[in-house]
Amino acid sequence: MSRKITIDPITRVEGHGRVTIHLDDYGQVKDSFFHIVEFRGFERFIQGHPYWEAPVFVQRLCGICPVSHHLAAAKAIDQIVGIDPKDLSPTATKLRRLMHYGQVFQSHALHFFYLASPDLLFGFDAPVDKRNIVAVASEHRDLAIKGITMRRFGQEIIKAVAGKRIHGILTVPGGVHKTITAAERDYFLDGNNIESIDTMIEWTKEVINFMKGYHEKNRKQLDEFAFFPSGHLGMVNDLGELELYDGKLRAKDHEGNIILNDISTDVYQEYFAEAVANWSYMKFPYLKNIGREKGWNRVGPMARLNVCDRIPTTLAEKERQFYLDFSGNKIINSTMYYHWARLIEMLYCAEEMKLLLNDPDLLSGELVRQGKTRNKGIGIIEAPRGTLTHHYEVDDKGMITRCNLIVSTTHNNDAMNEAVKWVAQHVISRHGNITDGMLNQVEVAIRAYDPCLSCATQALGKMSLVAELYNHKGELIDARTKN
Amino acid sequence: MQEQKIKPATLIIGIGNTGRNDDGLGWTFTEKIEEMQLPNITCEYRYQLQIEDAQLVSQYETVFFADASHQALPKGFEIKECSLVDHYYFTSHSQSPETILYLAKALYQKEPMAYTIAIAGQDWDFENKLSETAKENLDNVLKEFKNKYF
Repeated sequence: MSRKITIDPITRVEGHGRVTIHLDDYGQVKDSFFHIVEFRGFERFIQGHPYWEAPVFVQRLCGICPVSHHLAAAKAIDQIVGIDPKDLSPTATKLRRLMHYGQVFQSHALHFFYLASPDLLFGFDAPVDKRNIVAVASEHRDLAIKGITMRRFGQEIIKAVAGKRIHGILTVPGGVHKTITAAERDYFLDGNNIESIDTMIEWTKEVINFMKGYHEKNRKQLDEFAFFPSGHLGMVNDLGELELYDGKLRAKDHEGNIILNDISTDVYQEYFAEAVANWSYMKFPYLKNIGREKGWNRVGPMARLNVCDRIPTTLAEKERQFYLDFSGNKIINSTMYYHWARLIEMLYCAEEMKLLLNDPDLLSGELVRQGKTRNKGIGIIEAPRGTLTHHYEVDDKGMITRCNLIVSTTHNNDAMNEAVKWVAQHVISRHGNITDGMLNQVEVAIRAYDPCLSCATQALGKMSLVAELYNHKGELIDARTKN
Repeated sequence: MQEQKIKPATLIIGIGNTGRNDDGLGWTFTEKIEEMQLPNITCEYRYQLQIEDAQLVSQYETVFFADASHQALPKGFEIKECSLVDHYYFTSHSQSPETILYLAKALYQKEPMAYTIAIAGQDWDFENKLSETAKENLDNVLKEFKNKYF
């Protein structure tokens, strides 16, 4: 008898989603879907508001990555007041970068320690009571404490620069509204009140070493689990190095060939289109020249390390080279390598934060610049989860007439669906009894992408995620709901 | 002067969202306490509790979690002791006070005296104001809180 499996909600991801897996009469997977069934709204809400409200308004997209939306919108709004990224004052640029690195650091720490670590520490099919930070706290206390402290360090950076850990404000059109004081800076350097930035670097190295050890013991699983070919998209600087705040867009195919060659972010519309599906509120961005079917790209830590030529900081670059050795120094298409790449990016962010904290420009300098106003602004950054686009158009009175957001997680929409399909075909297909451990592997595959479903759909209200199993008649025969 | 009953090193965490009408009750309660400028009391504000709050609560002897309640309550509010529990909510977005207390014990070996303060609301729309019922409940809980703990 054919069946349909539902997993709802998908756990330890940001937001709510649902997976359905359709089996045929022989227990073979016929189809699978990762549905995001939340309402999409912010692009519409913001129309009619004055442009200067955008960087504050869009922070409400998410409680996890408000900084990323704040900065992407700020970059776009800078252009509306006539300031391109290169024209921003050094002080404003460096303060924004510091906040951005703090955001990526804390977001990656949250994901690795709170969300992903149970999968690695207890196994992909561990009992449900093991699959959470509470179990990690009980059995791996030191790791949990470090995770919490590292996440908090990033949050404290954000608080110092923007006033609050969540929904603080740093930017104004054309710059920033404040610097930090020497005392605020020293708080992160001297280790008297909180663990210092040097400790953050050391601890990140320790966690990377943990990941290397895990890889050594579980290489086959990491290589094979949810492996599939795809394009990879990320930002690079003029030297082709990893860039998170401002640069050019580059994409490579699954073999490492360049398919998008360092284009300016201003012209993204010439290269990208967005498709929709009738079973999800999340859009499907793709490269126009390759087409809807094969033109989608993975984004985020693994994709970024795939597309860049190197990392501009010493320790992280050394780790990138070691990591890439496992792919023949070419490109990695294995989903589970996201976790390792995320840790290397944490090290990069920690090194960048240390450099910035020792830069006197953070303490004083020109805050705001203004140029000739325009009617359009496009801000693209590399958010923790990948390439984030904010595009605004305004009328002559400065009121927003159009807003287009391509949120990082939407780029990974196809990839997450592929990952679900892989698990359905390789783990669930042909099994008479679907176990909880098997279903957790669906979540493991999705979770590796660290999706932020609330951002990706600009959701309203509460969210969660479900898995459903349907027979060939379309009858629901099994469902797991986790809320 | 009446001796303060509350132990030193007390933390009050207001939970909620002032942009959603009565969901702002937890924050408003905490603001009112903060305005009193009492010694040894720290006030924090959260949209939701998160895992790292375990580190914060571990630094205090007494912790109050103040939040709005969707349920009607006999007196319009309820203050009760809160014990640690090792359950986990499915997302990192929010955790219960009980989980936060569990993590404080498991990670930092600290077990503060803890209470939840639930204040009943009735309006949950998109406005920065409390309903009349919520204001009345807020006044009453503030009176009892001051009488009982100060």
